[in-house]
Amino acid sequence: MNRIYSYITDISPVSRCNTYLLPCMSSRCIMTLRTGQATRWITVLRTIMTFCFIMTLFLLPGTAFSQAGGNAEVKDSVDIPLKIRTGIDITGPAIWFTDKSILTAEAYISTDLNEKFALFLGAGYSDYSYSQYNYDYLSKGSFFKAGMDFNLLRPEIAAGKYWAGIGIRYGISSCLSETPSFTHENYWGSISSAIKPYRIMGHYLEISPGFRAELFKNFSIGWSVNLRKLISPGQKKDLRPLWLPGYGSGESVTAGAAYYISWNIPYRKIRVGLKKDEPEEYYDDDESGGSREDRSYRSISGSGAGNRLR
Amino acid sequence: MRNTFNIISAVVVACALFLSVSCTPGSCFEETNSYLKATFYRTSQGKPVPPDSLSMYGIGKDSAVYKKASRVQPALIPLDPSASACGFLIRINGVDDTVSFFYSTFTHLISRECGYTFFHDLDSLAYTRNIIDTILIKFRTISTFNEPNIFIYY
Repeated sequence: MNRIYSYITDISPVSRCNTYLLPCMSSRCIMTLRTGQATRWITVLRTIMTFCFIMTLFLLPGTAFSQAGGNAEVKDSVDIPLKIRTGIDITGPAIWFTDKSILTAEAYISTDLNEKFALFLGAGYSDYSYSQYNYDYLSKGSFFKAGMDFNLLRPEIAAGKYWAGIGIRYGISSCLSETPSFTHENYWGSISSAIKPYRIMGHYLEISPGFRAELFKNFSIGWSVNLRKLISPGQKKDLRPLWLPGYGSGESVTAGAAYYISWNIPYRKIRVGLKKDEPEEYYDDDESGGSREDRSYRSISGSGAGNRLR
Repeated sequence: MRNTFNIISAVVVACALFLSVSCTPGSCFEETNSYLKATFYRTSQGKPVPPDSLSMYGIGKDSAVYKKASRVQPALIPLDPSASACGFLIRINGVDDTVSFFYSTFTHLISRECGYTFFHDLDSLAYTRNIIDTILIKFRTISTFNEPNIFIYY
């Protein structure tokens, strides 16, 4: 009852993971297999090169990040510039150059609320096509996501230039999904059919740990790994989407990576008190309450709290 | 600081591993055809008993679904997705009957690897009563899953 398929695989860079299933072992299929093996080596090499390229991109902000805080002075507080940040994800166009079946363009804007938290808004466009031995699939649409970024670095290390943390986002994906053709075979013969374009509105959650570093004045680069959980595919179970813009394949959980370049616009400075690692033993009994409070760092908006820290 | 870095690194490595696993190309090992599953019952015994010999032909087709097959339980009956009805000649232990199925068809995505198939909703059926006593509809949705759809008493 179960049909066993032979298959060849076209390993596309950054994993388009196309699988061509051949439902027979005819001579034509075997010839296709041999041709496929040759192209497979090329695509494997292409994948390795893409991987090396991406790893280089990942290590670059890490190097800059490792230099941060090396000459930090011992201070009670530090000035942190809050910034409005706008940037683009360059992995989408990079993938498109190696695999024309998918184009994703994404841009974002984020605003620092304080030294720890930033508001994130992102939007993008995706054009995706996929072919199997028995069907073709198209998906074209846009996505929008909003959330928060949490910087886990200490303020004296981050200094408004470096970010290492986790972003949490809620995403909405809207696309036109279409299956221009598919074939199905059973006892009664072979049937060719199609599914007309229909609109899908999917919802998902995204967690994005990553790094970002300011390379030049007001110019940052950074990367994140994106883990996504589909909340709603926006379509009934029988015709769930194979691809959702901004989310990826229609599985319940997907993962991806993004490499951002961004332009920063400082709009305000805040003074942040620094946390002391070792508790001091020589504070005055009279001021003990205040000294204890001073050990936790926080944003100083200028007046009362700031005076106590100085 | 070191702890933070370690936590982020661990999450990144875990995500990278997930990414590599999720991008491993797959092949289709799932059932791609939906069948109407028919379970045979002996009326006299009131329990599932497969026929000693079963032959089944689609009406208008030359090829057989089953040809003198023994101990078939359940019988897997393929419906015609391009029509809203189809009929079968069923020969149970050498005695012929015909069964007609009336149904609606809808498209179902099996998986990215396997593509699409057709599922059906069984509306009704009609049959002759040479050896068949009764046919009960148990589950109307005809899919690639294993639920029995009809009980054939003979």
